[in-house]
Amino acid sequence: MRTARFWKELTKGIIVSNPVFVLALGLCPSLAVSGNLDNALGMSAGVLFVLLCSNIIISAIRKLVPNMVRIPVYIVIIATFVTIIGLVFQAYVPSLYESLGIYLSLIVVNCIILGRAEAFASRNGIVYSIADALGASIGFMLALVIIAFFRQILGTGGLSIFGFDLFTLPVLGDHPMLFFILPPGAFLVIGLLLALFKHTGVLKE
Amino acid sequence: MKDRLKEFYPVFFITIIVFISISLLALTDSVTAEKREWQTEQKVMDMLKDMFPSMSDYTLEDDVYVLYESGAVTGYAYIAEGKGYGGTIDILVGLEDATTIKGISIINHAESPGLGARINEDAYKGQYSNLTITDSEMRFNGGKIDAITGATISSQAVADAVRTTALEKIEELFGKGGDENG
Repeated sequence: MRTARFWKELTKGIIVSNPVFVLALGLCPSLAVSGNLDNALGMSAGVLFVLLCSNIIISAIRKLVPNMVRIPVYIVIIATFVTIIGLVFQAYVPSLYESLGIYLSLIVVNCIILGRAEAFASRNGIVYSIADALGASIGFMLALVIIAFFRQILGTGGLSIFGFDLFTLPVLGDHPMLFFILPPGAFLVIGLLLALFKHTGVLKE
Repeated sequence: MKDRLKEFYPVFFITIIVFISISLLALTDSVTAEKREWQTEQKVMDMLKDMFPSMSDYTLEDDVYVLYESGAVTGYAYIAEGKGYGGTIDILVGLEDATTIKGISIINHAESPGLGARINEDAYKGQYSNLTITDSEMRFNGGKIDAITGATISSQAVADAVRTTALEKIEELFGKGGDENG
């Protein structure tokens, strides 16, 4: 029973209530850092860390937090973890730190994280909050990777990940559609993907 | 009395949370400090090599990099700090001799993206290559640097930091008679 609920909380974030494609949350980072797979994965790793830690802490102290100061308390907790991941990225993966730029610190106000804190972790036990955090982060990662996949292929004519070239397309490789790795391309790709998922209904239960 | 205490509970609680948060951040900061400093040094080295491609060796005198090319001094570089709109801007300034700037690179900044952050674009930075030090001043103040639209403070901070620190360092390097070298 407990395991069943754990899996239910975990999987719901991936498909049925995918943060980006279904709930339309966290669109700012999805637009901004989905230009290539490296950034998409780096950002997702940051969100996974912050969401997991904040969900655990908020769930653990949920009975102690005075209702009137709960939002400031959540923000302080989330901001702490975001600053920690910022310092760690700066120390060990400076190139990622620079390409994520301000969007890394903006995880603080990412509505996926505060949303999960307020809607789930503040009302449920630690174990389910972990499941919820994992589910929402995997859903976010999946969305970012799908968007980045299309943007990188169309915008650079090939796919590379962490410095390894996976493949280069014959014609597109010489004449990439630069438009797709620029901001307007992000809107177009996200819009088309949302429309596609809505039309085919693949994200329904 | 008990009710009074209850009223203070939220204040007490949030103080504890903030205290724990600060301790955690201080811990992470001190653990990663060495590594982050090392990363900045690597970055400065890369920038120096970009600015002076022919450089083969360097020495650090006080906080000025003296750059050599097969034994002869080819230039100087130092880090200037400008007071920008969002905090300190660290600028690597390369000097060709006592009067001319070779170029600048932005090491760290916290300016607004799209506005002040454009100090890191070549259109702005490029203005400093082969510039006479005293011309590192906004055009409306009689210098030769064009400000970035919407980011006058950031543009001026860089120009001022580059000029004032350059004059200081040259005095350190060449003494008061800096003119005789240039």
